[in-house]
Amino acid sequence: MQTVDEVERVESARGISRPRETLRLIRKNKGALVGVSMVLIFLGVALAQAIATAIGVQITPYNPLQLSGLLYSPPTLAHYFGTDQFGRDVFSRVITALPNDAEISFAVIAVALAVGTLVGSFAAFRGGILEEALMRVTDIFFAIPALILAIAIAVALGNGLLNINFALMIIWWPPYARLARGEALKISHQNYIEASKLAGFGATKIIFKHVIPNIIQTMIVYATLDIGTVVLVYSGLSYFGIGVAPPHPELGFMVSSTTGFILTYPWLPLIPGLIIALLVVSYSIFGDGLRDALEAG
Amino acid sequence: MNIFRYIARRLLLAIFVLLGVSFITFILAHSVGGNPVCAWVGARGCADPTRVAYYTNLFHLNAPIYVQYYYYVVGLLQGNWGVSPSENFSPVISVIAARLPYTLEMAFFAIVESILIGVLFGVLASLYHHRPMDRSIRSIYLAGYSTPAYLMAIILLIVFVYYLHLLPSGEAVSSTLATSPPNTITGFPILDSLLGGKFAYFTSSVESMVLPSLALSLTTFGVVTRVLRSSMLDTLHSNYIRTARAKGLDERSVFFKHGLRNAMIPVVTLSSLIVTWLITGTVFVETIFGIPGLGQYLVNALLLSDYPGILATTLIFAIIVVSANLAADLLYAVVDPQIRLG
Repeated sequence: MQTVDEVERVESARGISRPRETLRLIRKNKGALVGVSMVLIFLGVALAQAIATAIGVQITPYNPLQLSGLLYSPPTLAHYFGTDQFGRDVFSRVITALPNDAEISFAVIAVALAVGTLVGSFAAFRGGILEEALMRVTDIFFAIPALILAIAIAVALGNGLLNINFALMIIWWPPYARLARGEALKISHQNYIEASKLAGFGATKIIFKHVIPNIIQTMIVYATLDIGTVVLVYSGLSYFGIGVAPPHPELGFMVSSTTGFILTYPWLPLIPGLIIALLVVSYSIFGDGLRDALEAG
Repeated sequence: MNIFRYIARRLLLAIFVLLGVSFITFILAHSVGGNPVCAWVGARGCADPTRVAYYTNLFHLNAPIYVQYYYYVVGLLQGNWGVSPSENFSPVISVIAARLPYTLEMAFFAIVESILIGVLFGVLASLYHHRPMDRSIRSIYLAGYSTPAYLMAIILLIVFVYYLHLLPSGEAVSSTLATSPPNTITGFPILDSLLGGKFAYFTSSVESMVLPSLALSLTTFGVVTRVLRSSMLDTLHSNYIRTARAKGLDERSVFFKHGLRNAMIPVVTLSSLIVTWLITGTVFVETIFGIPGLGQYLVNALLLSDYPGILATTLIFAIIVVSANLAADLLYAVVDPQIRLG
């Protein structure tokens, strides 16, 4: 009888790639489809805006940094999200803010995924001091709420988008390492791993050839579910003006700088706040759907 | 492992973690503004040569780095947390003593509320799983924990204060009462006013806690609901539930006595996660609702580049999380006999 791993190896030899299989499963899953579409819309807009900025073309309806109409205009057909206290078009400002959110969430998640998977797998395989050290270091990181530590690090490093990236990367990898270690331990006594050990392969080779390919699916699902959290923490930092370079718009800062208008012009803090929530929800639905699709497969 | 060894191990681990956290704040203090004195008296203070000399001496900043760390930890233990420029250079430790009760009161209400809401929705979702009720609960908690705490606070303010004119906002106690605070007995204004018989002060402070704690709990209850739902579904499929049904117990006692009680165990382990979320939320919510707690202190400190304040709140928040973790571990050992035996 074939084991699941053998079936998988045979299938990948036949050229039925995992990504394509995953795509097929996502298409069957309604939740994942909604999530994917929402994420793709956000990313598409962010990418278009990033490219437009790079080549110096304006794709937003108005210049996001300049007065473009009446002050405090409520949402209208001319200004979908209204205008702010400086008469700037909020819709254009939201669009302009999206690339930074997309860049930082993917950069932070990518680094956490790479570092966490490597550190976790090596810790599980080498054991001993490396493993103990990993567990204790991650304990320490878990003790400080991410946003608070990010604030402390960002302040120490100095303001700037690059430093925010860096601060978030420093604090983001520990849960990934813990997860990777756990997953690697689960498979460490499988026959194919034992066989590779007997064949005399070194830990590095086994980890790259067998361990990582087998745990990466779980890691990616976790990472997908986690992108929204980066968006939340990043918008929290920008709420306090950390990493914000006015007049360039940031979603969190758009909320905090207009909180005083709740009574008079409630859409000013509400709209950017809801956009943040929508971004986070999209990534969550996408992640949930991806997990369901992979588990069903 | 017997329970005492388990407790001893957990305590040791907690101490180790706190040492690690102090090491992180120590490193951060050394990376601030190029001069660690700035980390004790802020940017404005470290321009003052007498202060620089005083702190250089106090924390042995000319000594080798490991000696400095030793004095740093000893200083923390003795209450030398530096002075806070954002609070008129008063000692950080006394600022924290004055502010911590507000944060703890709010967190207490928020935890109780998020567990109540979370368990209610979790039970409903598992009772009606895969039906419209389950799906709508899923959307509610998904929306809840995807919403940043500040947005939740803003929505609650708009609904309850400006449209319904129901609850106060922007102060920890009504300003007419604020001039006559209760005598300090426990340090917690709500408890003190109750013990001291100042009932108007008591109701006013409790009223001011309703919206902030609700804003926090609405963003965190989803964690409880999500885990309770799945652990409830697992539990209801287990053998002892089948046994209970086979014994002829009615469905209600099967569900609540045998099901819910056991399904709550994984929720206990989550309490530290909930505490972490709540603490993150207090930073926003206290600022928006004008609660003079630690979260507001962190924000003030941030705005005025008050590093002692920032590092001290980081440390205090870590102590709160570690204590919550420890409490959850101990509670877990009490409710789950497998831990004691295993």
